[in-house]
Amino acid sequence: MASHLEIKESLQAFWQNYNQNERLKIMNKDWNRVILVRANDITSEHTLVLTDGSLAVYEGAWKNPDLTVIADSETLADLFYGDITPTEPYLNGTLQVVGSEDDIVRLDFISLMIWGE
Amino acid sequence: MKRVVSVSLGSSKRDHRVNVELLGEQFEISRVGTDGDLDKAIQTIRELDGKVDAIGLGGIDVYLYAGKTRYAVRDGLKLMAAARKTPVVDGSGLKNTLERQTVYYLRENTGLLPPGIAVLMVSAVDRFGMAEALLDIGCDVTFGDLIFAAGIPYAIKSLAELEEIANKILPDMIKLPFHMLYPTGKKQEVQDEEKIKKYGHYYKEARVIAGDYHLVRRYMPALAGQTIITNTTTAEDVNFLKEKGAGWLVTTTPEFAGRSFGTNVIEGVLVAILQKPWEEIQPEEYLDLLRRLDFRPRIIPLR
Repeated sequence: MASHLEIKESLQAFWQNYNQNERLKIMNKDWNRVILVRANDITSEHTLVLTDGSLAVYEGAWKNPDLTVIADSETLADLFYGDITPTEPYLNGTLQVVGSEDDIVRLDFISLMIWGE
Repeated sequence: MKRVVSVSLGSSKRDHRVNVELLGEQFEISRVGTDGDLDKAIQTIRELDGKVDAIGLGGIDVYLYAGKTRYAVRDGLKLMAAARKTPVVDGSGLKNTLERQTVYYLRENTGLLPPGIAVLMVSAVDRFGMAEALLDIGCDVTFGDLIFAAGIPYAIKSLAELEEIANKILPDMIKLPFHMLYPTGKKQEVQDEEKIKKYGHYYKEARVIAGDYHLVRRYMPALAGQTIITNTTTAEDVNFLKEKGAGWLVTTTPEFAGRSFGTNVIEGVLVAILQKPWEEIQPEEYLDLLRRLDFRPRIIPLR
C-alpha cells in the first residue's frame, strides 16, 4: 500500500515530466480536461487539470471531472511514476477509468508518451 | 475450386461472394462481416478452419509496423489462433509489396503523384510500405496516425518521428480492444461529424488522401478533386466519394465483380495459389505472382 504522500509525489513526477515535454503540450493544446485521481484503499484524492496544453496538479477533488481514475494506492503511485503502464491494469480491472472512450485512449497516450519505451 | 473467405469485424452489410478464374484455377471468394463482434469472428473462423483454402482477416490489422519493428495487435492474434489448419492472413504481408508498387506505378504511369504533392496518410503504421514509398518519390506527406486513431491534432511529418512515437505507444496500445483504436462494425457506416469539423482541414490541405478506406471515409469532409488511394471499395463507396467531390479513386487491389477487395483477401488468394505456410512466403514470391496475375492498380476518374 502506498501513502497519500507517495501518490502526491508520483503525480508531481508525472507533472514535471509532462511539462518538460514541449511536444506533448502542443499535442494536448485542444484537450482541456479535469481528471480526478482517487485511491480506493486509502483516503487520497488529487485533481489533474489540463488547460491549453499545460498540466497542473491539485490536492483534493474538483467537482464534475471529465475523467475519474480509480485504483489502489500502490497501482496509482506505480502508474504515475511510470513503473507500470496503464493498459494492463485497465484491462484486468485493477484500474478503473470513468469517462468517454476517446478520453481514456488519450490519457493512456499521454502516459505512454511520458513513460513509454 | 479453391475457397477464400474474408472474416471481417466490419459491417455485415458489405458481405458478398464472387467466383473468379485466376491462373486457370477457379476461386470462390466471399466475405463474412461480424459487425464488430470479436467472439462471433472467432467462432466463424473456427467453423471455417479446415474447410476452406485460406482465411483473410478484414476490419482489423494483426500486424502494425514502425520501421523494421513489427507489433502484433492482441485481438488480431486471438483471431489468428482460432484456426489450426487453414492459413489465416491479415493482408500485411501483401501491403508491404503491393502498395509500395502501387505508389511507384502511379509515379511512372500517371500524373497523380508529382514530386512535392501534399499527401495525407490517415494512418501509416498499417501501411508502412506505402508510407516509405510516398516519401521516397518526394511527396510532402502528413501522417494522420495520432489525429485519427487517438484524436490528437498533431501532424507527423517524417518517418523518423512516426517510428519514435510508434515505438513509445504501440507496445501498449496493441493490447487495447481493437474497437478503441479503429472503427469497427456499425461505426464503419457513419461519419464522425465532430472529428470532421475538427480535423477535416487536413483533408482539404492535401491533394491526395491515402490509407485504410474506413478511416478515409469516416473523417472525410467535402473535397475539391483530391485523389483517394485505398482499397476495399464497393460501388456504393465510389458513389460516396463522387458525392464528396473526390477527383480520382485508385485502388491497390484489383476489381472483381464491381469492387476492390481488401489486401487480406488477395493475400489469401496468393497463399492458396502458393500452397505454403504464409510465414515462409517471401516478398519476391508475392511480387512474382502479382506479375503473373497482371494485377495493376485500378484508377477511376470520379469527375
